[in-house]
Amino acid sequence: MKSTRHVRFALFVAALASATSGAIAIAQTVSLKPPTAADWDALAKLPDFTGVWETGGGPAPQRGGARAGAPGDAAAPAGNRGAGAQTAPARGRQGAGAGGGRAGGPSLTPEYAAKRAALLANPPEDSPAANCLPPGMPGIMGQPYPMEFLLTPGQVTILIEAYNQIRHIYTDGRKLPDDPDPTFYGTSVGRWDGDTLVVDTVGFSPITQIANGVPHSDKMRIAERFRLADPDTMSIETTITDPEALTAPFTSSRTLRRHRNWTLAEYICEENNRNSVDQSGKAGINLAPPKQK
Amino acid sequence: MKRTMRLISGLTAAGLIAAASGVVQAHHSFAPFDMANQKTVTGTVKQVEWTNPHSWIWLDVANEQGVVEPWGFEGMSPNYLARRGWTRTTLKVGDRITVAYRPLRDGSKGGMFVSTKLADGRMLTMSGATTTDR
Repeated sequence: MKSTRHVRFALFVAALASATSGAIAIAQTVSLKPPTAADWDALAKLPDFTGVWETGGGPAPQRGGARAGAPGDAAAPAGNRGAGAQTAPARGRQGAGAGGGRAGGPSLTPEYAAKRAALLANPPEDSPAANCLPPGMPGIMGQPYPMEFLLTPGQVTILIEAYNQIRHIYTDGRKLPDDPDPTFYGTSVGRWDGDTLVVDTVGFSPITQIANGVPHSDKMRIAERFRLADPDTMSIETTITDPEALTAPFTSSRTLRRHRNWTLAEYICEENNRNSVDQSGKAGINLAPPKQK
Repeated sequence: MKRTMRLISGLTAAGLIAAASGVVQAHHSFAPFDMANQKTVTGTVKQVEWTNPHSWIWLDVANEQGVVEPWGFEGMSPNYLARRGWTRTTLKVGDRITVAYRPLRDGSKGGMFVSTKLADGRMLTMSGATTTDR
């Protein structure tokens, strides 16, 4: 009896060790393959996404047409700064529909339309951002601060100035996880479709929102297509699907403008956050004067 | 010099609103502020906190009895302002300025910074076009 239990335990440990080592082996085949000189050379053939990009900067230029603005051109209307996103014309079935989404916004299922209505009827004084939590995906891509793209073998990295955030997009051929942990940015894989970086992302924290006031389910997926519309203008088309929250895919587009001379600044949100929200959800201002140096 | 010129640009009401909207998207609660109202107050710059997630401009303001009280004004973040011509020393300790601001709903001494006129007559706002060199 006792020995049987021991055997069972030993088998269990062996199985666990086997499963664990198997998982490690899989991860190693992806992440530990050293890049070759050819891998680095191949990057030079990809579109040049490097550098710091300002969100906004007006609508995307027509292909082959006039540019939206020269680098440093101050002509972009102020109203286009910040959000830098315009919702695209509805695709296919998307429309006013049953969702109750605003015109041009996501078309919501009745359940999520009700959630949004409840939120609007009794709006919280603030979002988690007031306590310095980042918006996560997709909101983090629409902040009024720039982002920087890094291309290395097997990975595209997006450094986002707001909240000092980082997105890792793996382009080494790995698959998306079946059961990802929910995170602010999700888990992303990418591939190059000609000159377009195609990114798929899954697994989002419930804190993130599809759009302002619109929660998502754990089935939300975000597809993004990044391409250079002209040498210093990047076009990003974002399509969000969520079978529980949305009645149709929600597509929006934004443009980024490259500034070769810019560098990312640091953004430590907790440095001096004087407008936090307390546990009751009430927003407050800390007006205690700073200590004199 | 270029930055100085940028300071003067973009003084439209739309620009101000755009800047304020930017705050919302980045990090903010508007709840404590009365965004429909604008007031002015005059005082002496005590300190500028060039910090994230927002800058704060602190003034010494004399009340009706002549007692000096601290007032605080919240502004955009340093990265945002730096690309629109500000530096951490654009406003200097001891500068006497009049600040236009969105008041706090509870009447506390402070608000959200909108603009100020500098001693040389230039208007200083937190909106406007970005520079090319930051």
